[in-house]
Amino acid sequence: MSTQNVLHMVIILPVLAGMVLFLIPRQYFYTKGILACLAALINLVFSVLLFGRSSEMINICVGKELIPATSALQAVIAQAESFMMMNSDGLGRLIVLFVGLFTFVICVYSLGYLFSRTRPKHYFSWFMITAGFSNGAVMADHVLLFIFFWGILGLTLYKLVRGHNSLSASAAKKTFILIGASDGIMILGVALIWHLGYPLSMSSMSITTGNALPVAAFICLVIGAFTKAGAFPFHSWVPDYASYAPASSSAFMPASLDKLLGIYFIARLFNQMFILNEWITLVMLIVGVSTIIIGVMMALVQHNYKRLLGYHAVSQVGYMVTGFALGTPLGIAGGLFHMLNNAIYKSGLFLVAGRVERHTGRNMIEDLGGLSKVMPVTFFAAVVFSLAIAGIPPLNGFASKWLIYQGIIEFGKGEGVANQLWIVWLVLAMFGSALTLASFVKFLSGIFLGHLKDVYLTIKDNRFLLCAPQILLAALCIVFGVFAAEWVIPKIIVSVSGEFSYTGVWESATVSLMVALSIILGLLIYVLFVGKKVRIDKPFMLGEQADHRAGFPVAEFYKTISETPFLRFMYKAAEKKYFDIYEVARGAVLGVSKGLSWLHQGILPVYMIWIIAGLLIMLLIVM
Amino acid sequence: MAQVFYFFIFPGLLFASVAGGFLSWFDRKLTARLQFRVGPPMLQPFYDFVKLLAKETIVSSEAAKSLFLMAPVFAVTGACLSCVLIFIPVFGIGNGFQGDLIVIFYLMMVPTISYIIGALASGNPLSNLGASREIKLLIGYEFSMLLVLAAIILKAGNTVSIHDIILLQQQEGAFIGSLSGVLLFIPLMMCVQAKLAFVPFDLADAETEIAGGIFLEFSGLTLALAKLAKYIMMLVLPSFVIVVLLGGFRLDGIHILWSLLKLIGLVLLITLVRNTNPRLTVGQSLRFFFIWMNLIAVVAILLAYAGL
Repeated sequence: MSTQNVLHMVIILPVLAGMVLFLIPRQYFYTKGILACLAALINLVFSVLLFGRSSEMINICVGKELIPATSALQAVIAQAESFMMMNSDGLGRLIVLFVGLFTFVICVYSLGYLFSRTRPKHYFSWFMITAGFSNGAVMADHVLLFIFFWGILGLTLYKLVRGHNSLSASAAKKTFILIGASDGIMILGVALIWHLGYPLSMSSMSITTGNALPVAAFICLVIGAFTKAGAFPFHSWVPDYASYAPASSSAFMPASLDKLLGIYFIARLFNQMFILNEWITLVMLIVGVSTIIIGVMMALVQHNYKRLLGYHAVSQVGYMVTGFALGTPLGIAGGLFHMLNNAIYKSGLFLVAGRVERHTGRNMIEDLGGLSKVMPVTFFAAVVFSLAIAGIPPLNGFASKWLIYQGIIEFGKGEGVANQLWIVWLVLAMFGSALTLASFVKFLSGIFLGHLKDVYLTIKDNRFLLCAPQILLAALCIVFGVFAAEWVIPKIIVSVSGEFSYTGVWESATVSLMVALSIILGLLIYVLFVGKKVRIDKPFMLGEQADHRAGFPVAEFYKTISETPFLRFMYKAAEKKYFDIYEVARGAVLGVSKGLSWLHQGILPVYMIWIIAGLLIMLLIVM
Repeated sequence: MAQVFYFFIFPGLLFASVAGGFLSWFDRKLTARLQFRVGPPMLQPFYDFVKLLAKETIVSSEAAKSLFLMAPVFAVTGACLSCVLIFIPVFGIGNGFQGDLIVIFYLMMVPTISYIIGALASGNPLSNLGASREIKLLIGYEFSMLLVLAAIILKAGNTVSIHDIILLQQQEGAFIGSLSGVLLFIPLMMCVQAKLAFVPFDLADAETEIAGGIFLEFSGLTLALAKLAKYIMMLVLPSFVIVVLLGGFRLDGIHILWSLLKLIGLVLLITLVRNTNPRLTVGQSLRFFFIWMNLIAVVAILLAYAGL
């Protein structure tokens, strides 16, 4: 099979499958799901095939042979061909591979997860169409073709959440408006590039950001990427979407595919389409680290665990933006690796959240607790994902954050303003990771540890369709962490980011081996020394009768921090949504329309006064 | 095979627990003398450990058992790994496994995190309270520690290799010889104090207040392992300070004595601080680190930029 055909398959096959699924009636939900899983599996196979191919530019025009060579249509097609170029380079193929993987894994999970109350209409159709169009967006070389694929994804994102009550409906609307607005701004950016006379194919753009117009074009395009990926200040749809969409949709779009796409476009923008000047680098680094800190600070005080995950989906983007903004091969490698790792553990976390919600019907951390006793598999997966996102060695989150830190330190050797401030980037990025740990202590222990309520005793954690995706993703977290330095970075990442040399040392496999040995040894000691000597007893409450209500609720852990003077002010402002660009813009629009409606009060004398005043002004101008 | 030897025998588990045990004895003996008590015999930490091994292990009925039992194992693993990574460049072992400053920083966090997770897994409300205090304290001192770390990386010329940092100090004098170095020493020692959970930052296991807090439910083997990890950290943290600020260890001739003296001097300092201060509350500790220690560290960074 030629690369062109494989490329056709990864784009057309999922979209076609989605179209066919529209035709199957709703009652046959499982038939639809199984067909979608099959299509996703075939798509994954083709993605793997594509990943093995070499880089080339591919023309995806088909059916040219059907038209006679003398026809006038040939000239039209020849012109259209420049729009139909696909760039199958290392970055694109890597992303297509992971899009394929996540599509399949989450499709399997959805089959077991979705239930009728919150199930979006035509879920699997939109799901598969999303996969196909994502592949298209990643492969497209011409900016207009890219925007076409990218725009449809905003619609499918909207379609994957069902407005089953007013809150979820408004979250869906907010998502649609923010994504739609950012797409509009992107088209403006493309128009600016066209106006400046640069070619519109990404691979040959290379715009210098010397004066205002290229910078404006860059900002327009980067707003689109930031909104998709969920970077501050365009992040506010992510937590809302995460709170109200089905967990499988959150795992699919904001947690994995939107990250892959948004960061993919950032990678193209920062390193291929534009040549950043040092001030833009500085601004991008500020956006990166403030996204990290703001996202995680908001996550720290959440009581709704899906919302908590949503804010982390924002926070982690900061690391990737920081990595790519550095512009060095080390930083790019870090950003890229973190993008993959984040997609793995974040979608895994949403799968965990989905299961907890499915079994308990509760959204708040304080209503839960002790679920580790009835959901051991989910608990194990949750521990792995939480430690990975908190960057605990030797899991994958650590490996990629470590690369980014190395990148920042190396970047600090440069001369520019942004370079000289490397300590700020380093300290804030690393501190963000400590705060991430803190909020995942809350997530883990609030849901899985502590007292188990009697109503949850009947929960069973044995559905293969739900367990298998979690275990697969957890295993990927471990594998990507353990073999990071020896295998993943040199084999997968370097081919995309370019060669670089480390400044530090991280022998992931050796350290992991020692950890594994210690675990085995620990188990042995327990078996040998303790054996049957373990006694189960009530928790010691200073000699009093232990009452499970006499707890110290995990959800309140960080109240001390949120009530310190400066932070209290900031949290108050965040509660009033002063940092939510959607709410701010909504306020502005409503304010203007209020003013206009005040003018239009329908009283004739007032209109007359306006007309006369207008006449006078015109006369004045004319004179 | 060599790796396994480094990890389990020298400079890993065995060496670290013996050396850490002695340092822990030194700390206890000194504390006792300061309080006009006789104090324990030299081998007391090891007696404690062996005796705890023989004791019954009790697990709370509310506990997530596997996680609770594995937490102390992870604590020991993290402590040992950081010990190996610090000491391998110190002893100049060429082909051992290595890690840089960032890796060590993260590994040194692992014991604390393991205690927190173990405490939360035990299902005891008082342990929950202790864990909540510990993680807030962690947020507090981690930021100061990061600033210190960044300053050291800056002073070392943007390198994170432990080996290069030691080498540079041995050629051009220890970092503490400069004004910024002296300033950095203060927040770093406070972070060490907090990491070791000694007074004034022992709020997580405040025995007179919340009955041991995070360690309340640990008993028998689990407590033995938790204590072992604490012994090892007693060696690791002062050694870390010596490596990054005090010129590292040198193991030839008279320098062996100097290295030992540095280590004992630091432990002495820690012991003195812990015996002359009252316990701080969470709010006080956070304010202490977020305002005062960070201020000192930032001033030190600015001085380091100026080359002082």
